[in-house]
Amino acid sequence: MAGEVTRIGEYEWELPVDYRPGMRVPARFFLSEFLRKDLESGALEQLANVATLPGIVRYSLAMPDIHWGYGFPIGGVAAFAVDGGIISPGGVGFDINCGVRLLATPLRAADLSGRRELVERLFQAVPTGVGARSDRRLSGKDLEEVMVRGAAWAVEHGYGVPRDLERCEEGGAMAGADPSAVSPKARQRGLPQSGTLGSGNHFLEIQEVKEIYDPVAAAAMGVPPQGGVCVMIHCGSRGLGHQVCTDHLKTLEAATRRYGISLPDRQLACAPVNSPEGKAYYGAMAASANYAWANRQMITDMTRKVFVKMYGIGYDEMPLVYDVAHNVAKREDHLVNGKPVPLCVHRKGATRAFGPGSPGIPKECAAVGQPVIIPGSMGTPSFLLRGTAFAMEKTFGSTCHGAGRVTSRTQAKKNMRGQDVRDRLAKAGILVRAPSYESIAEEAPEVYKPSLEVVRVVDAVGLSKLVARLEPMGVIKG
Amino acid sequence: MPFTTLPHTADVRIRVTAFGLPSLFAEAARAMAAIMAPGCVPAHVVTREVTVEAEDLEGLLHDFLSELLYLFDAEELLLCDCRVVLEGTRSLSATCRGEMFSREKHRGGNEIKGVSYSGLRIYKEGEDDVLEIIFDV
Repeated sequence: MAGEVTRIGEYEWELPVDYRPGMRVPARFFLSEFLRKDLESGALEQLANVATLPGIVRYSLAMPDIHWGYGFPIGGVAAFAVDGGIISPGGVGFDINCGVRLLATPLRAADLSGRRELVERLFQAVPTGVGARSDRRLSGKDLEEVMVRGAAWAVEHGYGVPRDLERCEEGGAMAGADPSAVSPKARQRGLPQSGTLGSGNHFLEIQEVKEIYDPVAAAAMGVPPQGGVCVMIHCGSRGLGHQVCTDHLKTLEAATRRYGISLPDRQLACAPVNSPEGKAYYGAMAASANYAWANRQMITDMTRKVFVKMYGIGYDEMPLVYDVAHNVAKREDHLVNGKPVPLCVHRKGATRAFGPGSPGIPKECAAVGQPVIIPGSMGTPSFLLRGTAFAMEKTFGSTCHGAGRVTSRTQAKKNMRGQDVRDRLAKAGILVRAPSYESIAEEAPEVYKPSLEVVRVVDAVGLSKLVARLEPMGVIKG
Repeated sequence: MPFTTLPHTADVRIRVTAFGLPSLFAEAARAMAAIMAPGCVPAHVVTREVTVEAEDLEGLLHDFLSELLYLFDAEELLLCDCRVVLEGTRSLSATCRGEMFSREKHRGGNEIKGVSYSGLRIYKEGEDDVLEIIFDV
């Protein structure tokens, strides 16, 4: 008889290795009883599929925001041995380095005048929605540099300050980018979209720091005090990254056959990490990730300029707290059986959450752990957390990335009118601006799991620890 | 209703029904355009020839829709009326008509990031050809 879902601890569950034929390792995931109600069978199947991939180390993992995606489940984390393991675009997704950043401001929520005008000006300044075009279109030469140097290119071209780079995962530019693995088509999609937000769940949000849970960590990270105003930006690598995923799926499909790998889902097309196809995908993926960091940096610049003009504050009075990637595969060393082993860690809708003293985290945060940013929805809070040593042991230094949907977009539009959602949120003090009412209905707070419950679980398990709660005041949706 | 939406919480999953594979592919293209940018009128304002080659039928469908997605993103071509010719299961050519995308005219859609192989199925149901597909939005 096939193995069944087993409870390992209060919040930890296991799919045993005999849950499905072909699994090389068991799967582990983290959920509360409350969140388990919404767990889709499709997500569990995808979690089991990942466990069948060659070279997977320890477990196929999923965070408490696990839900049904394509390829890996969303919230999925898996590490593969560089020696003998694979790399797959199905473990990264179309939106490579979709990620989130948090900016501090010196402003107080209680004194913030002209909030409606602020939301409108930000909406005008940042191109959003389907088909949005950049007014900062890149040249071919610029794009080439962006793909290698990421946010550093943007800072050098006046879209930020050098300190911003210290506050980005990977310093805002992943090593190993290979623009020659990025097709002309991907470039064509990327050129007109630099500095655009996109649509779907992407957003730019004005937030109030409502509660500080960990004053020491908050001070180290540079979070404004309670009552202070922050800005959160959520977007990714736009059409460039989407096309890189599409292109490399095709070459990796052929490679999968060539290397004799059998797959339960075609979206998991993969190749050995060190094969030519695997290296080409890694190089193109890193180039896309760098484009995404430059993109968020350019939107940061647009945002700062709006605040500077409206409130007379200095450009450098809006420091970056941190910027994290949600969809990426990275070469990282982790302890396996007590020894550091080079791994290719895939995070698909999951966040790196490195513990205190880990390499690659800002020096000010060395003692408290890497800042982790978990966005909520338009009506529910976002959270700042810190990475832990426990996550390093348990999940290759990973945690959740957001709340996760419970209602489909179609159902949301059937259930609600965008106008009503907007008016209801406005009564609660949250001003929403979007290109269409449909996009407001699709992203209404109730279509997401409660962000507090997801974050409560990662905090209780110890995958990351709460630092601050941020509540929305104004939202620009794509 | 040329296509129906199937349950999928995070992305857009649809089912398309048609008589014959070429019309099935054409209806899938029409559905994708309707999701991205509702209100496309195939006014023959723009026409594009699209050819793709792949290993099998699913690959052809995936690559065909990915090509239309590319043309939308890179050139703002909204192509919703395609005449598809299949040569076996590994080669496709199509003449696609549509119009230039306009943010004012085609508002309220979802940006599609990619066409997923997960859950991609093409099958027969009685006389009809049916496909199911997930778009990452």
